Amino acid sequence: MEFPKITNNCCVEVDFRQKNCGRQRTGGDVFLSRKLKEQQRVISVLSDGLGSGIKAGVLATLTSVMGLNYMSSFRDPAKAARSIMDTLPVCSERHISYSTFSLVDVDFENEVKIVEYDNPPVLVARGSEIIRLERSQVQVTRADREPVAISVADFQARPGDRIIMLSDGVSQSGIGSQSLPFGWGIEKTGNFIREQIEKKADISACELAAAVVDKAWVNNGGHALDDITCGVIYFRQPRQLLIMTGPPYDQKKDRLLADLVGNFPGRKIICGGTTANIVARETGREVHVMLGKIDPDLPPDSVMDGVDLITEGILTVGRVARYLEDRRNPETLNLNPATKIVRMLLNSDIINFVVGTRVNEFHQDPNMPVELEIRRNVIKKIAALLENQYLKETSIQYI
Amino acid sequence: MSKKFKITICSGTACYVLGGAQLMMLEDLMPAEFRDQVEIVGSACLQACRQGGSGQPPFVKINDYLMESASIAKIVDYLRKH
Ligand code: FES
Repeated sequence: MEFPKITNNCCVEVDFRQKNCGRQRTGGDVFLSRKLKEQQRVISVLSDGLGSGIKAGVLATLTSVMGLNYMSSFRDPAKAARSIMDTLPVCSERHISYSTFSLVDVDFENEVKIVEYDNPPVLVARGSEIIRLERSQVQVTRADREPVAISVADFQARPGDRIIMLSDGVSQSGIGSQSLPFGWGIEKTGNFIREQIEKKADISACELAAAVVDKAWVNNGGHALDDITCGVIYFRQPRQLLIMTGPPYDQKKDRLLADLVGNFPGRKIICGGTTANIVARETGREVHVMLGKIDPDLPPDSVMDGVDLITEGILTVGRVARYLEDRRNPETLNLNPATKIVRMLLNSDIINFVVGTRVNEFHQDPNMPVELEIRRNVIKKIAALLENQYLKETSIQYI
Repeated sequence: MSKKFKITICSGTACYVLGGAQLMMLEDLMPAEFRDQVEIVGSACLQACRQGGSGQPPFVKINDYLMESASIAKIVDYLRKH
C-alpha cells in the first residue's frame, strides 16, 4: 500500500508575531499574507509606517495592501516595486515615503521573489545556516521625492528553508542598552535564529516568529520601544497523519495493518477497539484504556506504544464528522477523544484513511438504541469536509 | 499484592451503547467493602461481541468469567457471592 508522497513539493507555512509600541493598541507595523489559490502563489508583506499608532497603522496597511495587489498582478518584482513606489503616498514635509516594506512572493515551484524598501533585510535560513542573497538595486525616481533604491532578489527555495521578515523594531531592539549599545542588529538576530533552529529543527513559523519577537522585547528590557514584528515563511515537509479504522475484511490482512502502523512516516490514530486489538496482537503490544478520564458521551481513549491516539470507532468518528461540519474550533471544545482527533486532523497536511470493511453484526442489530452509521460513509464524509472546507489532502483505502 | 478480583470493563462500541456507558462509573460506585479487593481496568473490545453465543452486551470480565448483559448491580452481586 502506497501513500501519496510529496517529494520536491512542500508546504508553505506562513505566520507572524508582533508586539506593539508602548501602550498603543494599533501597530505601525503590518504583516499580511495572501494565497492566490489558482496560481498557487503565496505573497507576504511586512510594512512599517512612519511613527507608531493609528496613523502609522493606516499607512502601513495601505502600503501592504498595495504591495500585495501589485505583486499579484506583476510577476516581475522590479515592475511591481516601481508601481508601488509611484503610488505610495509621500510625507509632505520630509519628502520620504510614509512606509517601508518587504515583499516576498512564493510561486508553485517554490521560486521566491523578494522586493525590499528600507526595511531590515529579509533573512533566509537553509536548515540552520543563514544564507547570503544576491540582491540588485532598482532606482526609482519621482518628481515629488528624492530618488530611492529598491532592492530585488530571487532564489529557489528548498524544503527546510525559512524566510524571516523583520521590522526595525527587531533589529534596533536593545539600542542604547549596556549589552547592545548599537541594537541587536541583523547579524546577531541571524545568530539567534540559527540557535533556535539548531535547538528545534522543525520549529514552526509561528514558534520561530514568537521567539524572535520575545527576544527583541527582552532586549528592550521588557517593553516595545517601537513596534516589533517578525514574519516567517517556512517551506516544510508536509505533516502526514494516518487514521486506521475497522478490521480488514480478510483476516489474512491483519498483519498488513500492523505493518502500516509500523512504517508510516507521521502521526497515527486508530479508531476502533477491534482494530486496536489486532495491531496490539500482531505487534505484541498492549492496549490500555484510560478509564480515569471519562467524557459523558464518548467511550474513553486508550494508549499503546507506537500509536499516537486510540479511540472507539464509529461513535467517535461520527462525532468528529459533526465537529468538522459545524466548523467547531477544537481548542474551545471539551477535551474528549473526538476533539483530540479533530486537533490532529487540523494540524496535518495530508491525511490517509485506511478503512477496514469487516462488519460487526452487533452494530446492525435492530435493537441497538442508537443507529450506527456505516463506517465507510462517515469516513468519506470526513475526507470530503477536510478537502473542501479545510483544504487538506486526503486519501482513503479500503482493506 | 494482587487483588482478589480483576474486573475488565469493555468500552467498545457495542458494549458502550448497550449500557456499558454506565459501567464506566463502576469505580466510584463500588461498595466500600470491595474497594480493596478489586482492580478495575478497561478493554477496547473484549471480542465477545464478535463471537456468536456469548450473550448480550455489555460484557464485563471478572477474572476469567465473562459476564453478559452486565450492570453495576449484577457485578456487585457476583462479588458478594464469590
Ligand atoms: S464491544 Fe464489547 S466485546 Fe466488543
